[in-house]
Amino acid sequence: MPGSMMQPDLSAAIGDTGVRADALARWQDGGWPGPRVEAWRFTRIDQLAERDLVRADGLAGGSAGPGATAAASIGAHVIRFENGVLDAGCLDGLPDGVTARDLAGDEAALQRLAELAPNGHPVSDLSMAAMTGGLLIDVSGTVAAPLMLLFEGALADCSAHPAILVRLAAGAHLQLAEWHQSAVGLSAPLIGVDVGTEARLEQVKVQDEGAETTHLAATGMALAEKASIAGFSLSVGGSLARLETHVAFLGKEADCQLSAIYMGRGEQHQDITTFMDHAVAECTSNQIIRGVLDDRSRGVYQGKVHVAPDAQKTDGQQMARALLLSRKAEVDAKPELEIYADDVICAHGATVGELDATQLFYLTSRGIPYETARAMLIEAFLIDTIETIENEAFAGLLRPVAEGWLAGGEGA
Amino acid sequence: MTALLEIRDLHASVGDTPILKGINLTINAGEVHAIMGPNGSGKSTMSYVLAGRDGYEVTGGDILMNGESMLEMEPDERARAGMFLAFQYPVELPGVGGMSFLRAAVNARRVEAGEEEIDQLAFVKIVREKAKLLGINDEMLKRAVNVGFSGGEKKRYEILQMALLEPTMAVLDETDSGLDVDALRIVSEGVNLLRDPGRAMLVITHYQRLLNHIVPDYVHILAGGKIRKTGGKELALEVEESGYAGIDDAA
Repeated sequence: MPGSMMQPDLSAAIGDTGVRADALARWQDGGWPGPRVEAWRFTRIDQLAERDLVRADGLAGGSAGPGATAAASIGAHVIRFENGVLDAGCLDGLPDGVTARDLAGDEAALQRLAELAPNGHPVSDLSMAAMTGGLLIDVSGTVAAPLMLLFEGALADCSAHPAILVRLAAGAHLQLAEWHQSAVGLSAPLIGVDVGTEARLEQVKVQDEGAETTHLAATGMALAEKASIAGFSLSVGGSLARLETHVAFLGKEADCQLSAIYMGRGEQHQDITTFMDHAVAECTSNQIIRGVLDDRSRGVYQGKVHVAPDAQKTDGQQMARALLLSRKAEVDAKPELEIYADDVICAHGATVGELDATQLFYLTSRGIPYETARAMLIEAFLIDTIETIENEAFAGLLRPVAEGWLAGGEGA
Repeated sequence: MTALLEIRDLHASVGDTPILKGINLTINAGEVHAIMGPNGSGKSTMSYVLAGRDGYEVTGGDILMNGESMLEMEPDERARAGMFLAFQYPVELPGVGGMSFLRAAVNARRVEAGEEEIDQLAFVKIVREKAKLLGINDEMLKRAVNVGFSGGEKKRYEILQMALLEPTMAVLDETDSGLDVDALRIVSEGVNLLRDPGRAMLVITHYQRLLNHIVPDYVHILAGGKIRKTGGKELALEVEESGYAGIDDAA
């Protein structure tokens, strides 16, 4: 049992009853999943138990780096977490249609976040219990400016447990960016999103944590009738990263686009895990996943689409492709369909390949240096995925991060 | 005078199979040479060996450009030194925008020559001018490289690249294959515009018809990995009349 993860007074602070106390009890019972837990077979995190990490409890202040610059470039309102602690000053001057306050102490909201959180995921319990900063965001109407949740912090021996619930009222429209650029030991954001009837969430996430950071994200989203989500994640940072997202379809004719790019080099481990729970009829989900792995890095894609017996006319698509740039890079892809309805359109696929030697020769035969040619082909492999992003501002946030990764290769 | 391209007793293999078995060929600036030969004679192998493609191993002899051996040079280095290969089967590059591809290629040569990278607007203007002569419209220029192009469009796009890169040694591999009469005329006119006292061309073809449009100074017959016969443009007509059948005996 990884007692080192907990400050001794945590259970005193939480109390004996309530959502967080229940989460703490579950966490103390379960701890980090070991290698025999199927969902964590390809991504080993039990070594976290041996690390001596403490929760941060204060702000050092000051925001810099690419996240803040990116936010400014798209006119986003930034809500900043440092070492997992909410910078409450960021809650002033929110865009029209947005209200935000502390989540801790709101039992109903905590309960809803616990319901949305990926079931069985250690961070669902741990970050609920160990919450370093809680935030409840309510959205109504169309919010003109994007919101950016910016996660930073330089304490290498700290574990960050921000817990955030976002509620989109019926008909609301929100553009939500998440930018992770901390250098903490463990970054474990727990995020829940309720997308109300006919509401729309456009979401983008950049995971560009420090080289020593473990990033474990647990995200749960639910869609009411005719709600839609257009989500995209780009995961390039951290020593080990797992972006796990569970999506629950609660009302008919809801649509969820959830795509991701992961890029690894050195000894990095990049994991994208998704679960689409088609519980009701006539919903659509679509996932395009692209991975690029160099050196000895490792990639994991686990995507499960579950179609309940009543979920007729479901359209669930997932296509994962990985590009291995080195003989020592590895990828595990596990797309899964679990269908209990008989009138559905579902497809999945996963491919793993290398750069095409003929294409490389064509480019170099025009005088383009080998490294440039290689970068052009990797970019080409990723580009159609980024081009599926309708929100131009969000697509514009991702391109420089992907290009920066490509430019930083070869000996970087 | 140093030859622009000198091929000396060139032997090359693909895998364990010897394909070129002692080619000797000297090409001077301003000359257009044609290589004709039956299928499997080594024509395409020769073009790939000149461009430096992986898997085409030189097992003997040498290739000199302006007196310098190219054997140790990578394909991109050869290209920047002035070598150009117009592909028999141009390669599709989904996701690679045509204009950025052309600009990357031109800038690679300019940087090598110690020049500044070309201004984007000026470049677009140059590309449009040259494209127009080859019947390539703006819509085609905007697409990903060779993606959705017809066979004829791909060949015209090869010649556009040649016009932009201004190579000193251009190798055209079966540029006529898959072209109808009109496309053949457009491509040939494009090539003829690039004939220049400072530039040499090696036109590789199976059929004589291309050589009606791009008239060579010399014709070489390649068979069984060796040049069996060399002559003027009339040699192409001879082959057209009697085929390749008698060539081996003549050697």
